Amino acid sequence: MAVGAGILRVPKEAKKGEIVRVQMVITHPMTPARKDPQTGQEVPAHHLTKLDLFFNDKLVSSINMAAGVSANPFMALTLKVEESGVVKIAYEDNKGGKWEKTAEIKVS
Amino acid sequence: MDRRKFLTLSAVAVMGLTLAPAFKPAFGATKLEEEIQKRLGVQLSQVKEVAEIKLTAPTIAESGANVPITVESTIPIEQVERLYIFVDKNPIPWVADVSLTPMNGQVFFSTRIKMGETSNVRAILKLKDGSYVMATKEVKVTAGGCG
Repeated sequence: MAVGAGILRVPKEAKKGEIVRVQMVITHPMTPARKDPQTGQEVPAHHLTKLDLFFNDKLVSSINMAAGVSANPFMALTLKVEESGVVKIAYEDNKGGKWEKTAEIKVS
Repeated sequence: MDRRKFLTLSAVAVMGLTLAPAFKPAFGATKLEEEIQKRLGVQLSQVKEVAEIKLTAPTIAESGANVPITVESTIPIEQVERLYIFVDKNPIPWVADVSLTPMNGQVFFSTRIKMGETSNVRAILKLKDGSYVMATKEVKVTAGGCG
């Protein structure tokens, strides 16, 4: 998968007021700046810096991170749903890449 | 090499040898504290350890490149503002911080982190009243995962 491709998983249906789990996996190398042991050349860092979780365009959580998170980061958060809506994650890396991913929840 | 040059060189070398070990432990001990001071604005000794935060991590990690951790808490979400994750002995002890709002419903965060060597993992919660509380767990790492 290409860098920045993501999977966002939420339950399709939920009850009003239920706390659901929002899980995501993003394809990303998450490498820190370092020297290549073979060539001695500096390899610049390439990692995600920020990930925002929105529900119906309202900011729920915002995660700041650096290369301390494993490659192809997995994250899970909770969300209390009162109404049907769209869960959106927006994330960016230190090389200017920006991505978005959405998923829908139906609340009964 | 003349006598004068030799003397200055050896003096520098001796100074370096005697000073280096004196500096090193002090630096290693404060790296986490420095980072916490920078990110949180408080001393590590001011952060209280509480039982209400549950930090789940393996006791022995198979690989330092991929250590799954989960933070949960019974502290009401309305009182919580932010969650920080630190690993004591990583080159950069700060791993991530998460802002939490009442829309989260509860304090819950799960991810996978890198660990360079066996050390403590800390989950620190910033509460709305400005105080900090934390949970600590030691994770043994057999193969480091940095770089």
